[in-house]
Amino acid sequence: MRFLKSVYNWCEVRLGIKELVEKELTGYLLPRNINFWYSMGSILLFIFIMQVATGILLLIYYVPDADKAFGSVTTIMNRVQFGWFIRLCHAIGSSMMVLFVLLHMLSVLFMGSYKSPRELNWLSGFILFNLVLATCLTGYLLPWSQLSFWATTVATNSVGAIPYIGQFLVEFLRGGKLVGAPTLGRFFALHVAVIPILIAAVVGLHLFFLERIGVSTPPFGLDKTSNRWQGEAFRYDNHPGGIPFFPNYLLQDMTSIAVYFALFAAVLFFSPYIFFPKDAFVQANPFQTPAHIKPEWYFLANYQTLKLFPNEFVGLSIQGAAMTFLALLPFIDRGREKHPLKRPLFTACSIVGILIFIALMVWGHYS
Amino acid sequence: MNQERRKMNKPFARLSMICLVMGMPSLCAAANAPAQEEIVCIRCHSGQPGRLGEPVKLWRDSIHAANGVLCNDCHGGDPKDAVNAMSPARGFLGAPKEADIPAFCGRCHVGVMKDYLQSAHGRRLGNGGPTCVSCHSNHLVVKASLDIINEKNCTQCHSYEQARAIKEAMQQTEGLIVSIGGDIDAFKGEGVDTDKLEKGLFSVRNRFHTMFHDVDVEKVKQESTQINSELNKLADALGKIAEQRNKRKLAGGVVVGGALIAALLFYLLRKTYD
Repeated sequence: MRFLKSVYNWCEVRLGIKELVEKELTGYLLPRNINFWYSMGSILLFIFIMQVATGILLLIYYVPDADKAFGSVTTIMNRVQFGWFIRLCHAIGSSMMVLFVLLHMLSVLFMGSYKSPRELNWLSGFILFNLVLATCLTGYLLPWSQLSFWATTVATNSVGAIPYIGQFLVEFLRGGKLVGAPTLGRFFALHVAVIPILIAAVVGLHLFFLERIGVSTPPFGLDKTSNRWQGEAFRYDNHPGGIPFFPNYLLQDMTSIAVYFALFAAVLFFSPYIFFPKDAFVQANPFQTPAHIKPEWYFLANYQTLKLFPNEFVGLSIQGAAMTFLALLPFIDRGREKHPLKRPLFTACSIVGILIFIALMVWGHYS
Repeated sequence: MNQERRKMNKPFARLSMICLVMGMPSLCAAANAPAQEEIVCIRCHSGQPGRLGEPVKLWRDSIHAANGVLCNDCHGGDPKDAVNAMSPARGFLGAPKEADIPAFCGRCHVGVMKDYLQSAHGRRLGNGGPTCVSCHSNHLVVKASLDIINEKNCTQCHSYEQARAIKEAMQQTEGLIVSIGGDIDAFKGEGVDTDKLEKGLFSVRNRFHTMFHDVDVEKVKQESTQINSELNKLADALGKIAEQRNKRKLAGGVVVGGALIAALLFYLLRKTYD
C-alpha cells in the first residue's frame, strides 16, 4: 500500500494527476438536463475499439490472397477456437457502427447541436461517417465470397459514371480492368491500415473540438432554447451547477454501453445471419454472376436511387448533392432555435427525409 | 460560342465533381448484375410458335436450365452464330432417333446410362422399351427423384405394382437424403464448412441413384438398408453441429442477461449519485 502511494506521489509531482482528474473528470461539468442520447459517442468509441481488437485477432488467420482468402475465413469460422465469435463480432460490429453513427447524427440534428460554434464538430463527425462507410465497403471484399466479389464489382463500376475520370478511377480502385487479386490487396491495405488510422485521427480531432468548445446544452426541459453564442469571440460553453462527468455521466455511458452490448450479443448469438445472405458463404466465382446482388442495408437507399434514374451519373449526382447538403448543414441552417418543436419546417423536412431514406431502403431490399 | 458555353458549364461541372467526391463512399450501390447473355438458339426459338418455341419454355423450368446446361450442350451447333447455329459443320446434332437417346444423354450421364442399359428397361431398347425421355421428359428435365416413379409414367408400358413396391422400399432413403441435403444447405448458408458432408452425401446419393433403374425389389431393399446406415452417420454429424449451435445460444442467453444486469447496476449506481 505504501509502495503504491509512493508511486502515485512520484507521478503526481511530475504530471499533476489530481489537477487533471479534477479538470477532466470530477470537475468537468455537463448540463443538468443532459440525456442518454449524449452517450452515443461513447458507444461508438466502444464499438470502434471492439472492431480494432477483433480485426487484429482476425489478422492472425486471415490471408489476403485471392486464392486463399475464402479458405482462411472458412478456417476462422470452423476450425479456429472461438474464430466464429471473433468473425461475427467484427462483421456485426460493422453494421452496428453504421447504425449508431446514424443515431448519433440524428440526435445531433434534432437537438440542434450542430449549430455554431460547433460546425467543426459536425464536419469532423460527417467525415467520420464517410470513413465508417468506406471501411465497411473495403472490408466487404475481404472474405472473397460471391457476395463480396460481385458487390465490389458493381460498386466500383458505379464510379465509372463520373465524366472524364470515371474509367480511370474504376481501374485505379480495382488495380486493373476487373475485380481481382490486385483489388483485394488494395482494399485490404485500405481496410486494415489507412482507414482505421484516419478514423482514429479524426476521432481525436472530433474529441479535441468537443473539449475546446464544451458540451452543448440539450434543448429539452428549458424555457430558453435558442443558441446563446453570438459569434463575438471564442468561449468555452461551461455549465455551472451541472453534473460531473465522473462518476455521474460516466455511469450513464456505462449503462448505455451495457445496453448496447446486450443488443449486440442478442444479434450475435440468436440471429447473426440477418446480415449474411447465402452468397456470403460461397467462394467468389468471376464466371458465375448471382441472380441479384444487393448491397448491405446501409447502401440499399443509394442502390435504389441509382435504379430509379435511367442515367447513372444523374443518380450519383443527386446522392452527391444530398451528402454535400448534409455536410454543409451548419452553414446553411443559421437559425438560433435548437428545440425541434420550435423549428417545425426543419423537423418536418428531416422526418420526411428519414422516411424517404427508409422507404428507399425497404424498396431496395424487396426490388 | 462554345468557349462561352464551356465557361458557363465550369462552375456546374466543379459543383458536380465536389458532390461526387463527397458522396464517394456511398457509391457502393448499383443496379442488378448483368443477365447472362442469351444464346442465339433461345433468342430465335423463344419467339417462335408451337413445337419450335415449346422446347425453350419447357427448358426454362428444367434442372438443365438451373445448372446452366444450354441447348448446344446437348444438340451441338454454334450458339453464337445465328446463321450457322444449326450447321452440321459446327457440330449440330439435332434431335436423336429413339434408339440413340440413351447414348445422346449418356455423353454426360455416363454412369446412369450404364445402369439403364443393364436394367430391364435398357435391355428392351429398340423393342418398345422406354428411353430416358419416357420418364425424365426431354426438355422439361426435372431433378431425378422418386417422384418420377409414378402410376402415370409407369403405366405407359406396364402395371404399377412392382414399381410401387420398389418406390416404397426407397421412400425412407429418399426422405433422408432430402432432409440431410436441406440441413447441409442450411448450415452452409450459415458459414459452416460442409464440404466433407456434401461430398459424403453426393457419394451416397449417387449410389442410391444407381438403384433407380433397377427393378429387382429384394436387391433394392437390401441396398437401401445399407445406404440408410451411411445416411444416419451424416445425420449424426449434422446433429452434433445443431447441438453446438444450441450451446452457443445458451451461452448467448447468459451474455445478454449479464449485460442487462450490468446495465441495471450502472443505472442504479448513477441514481445513488444523483
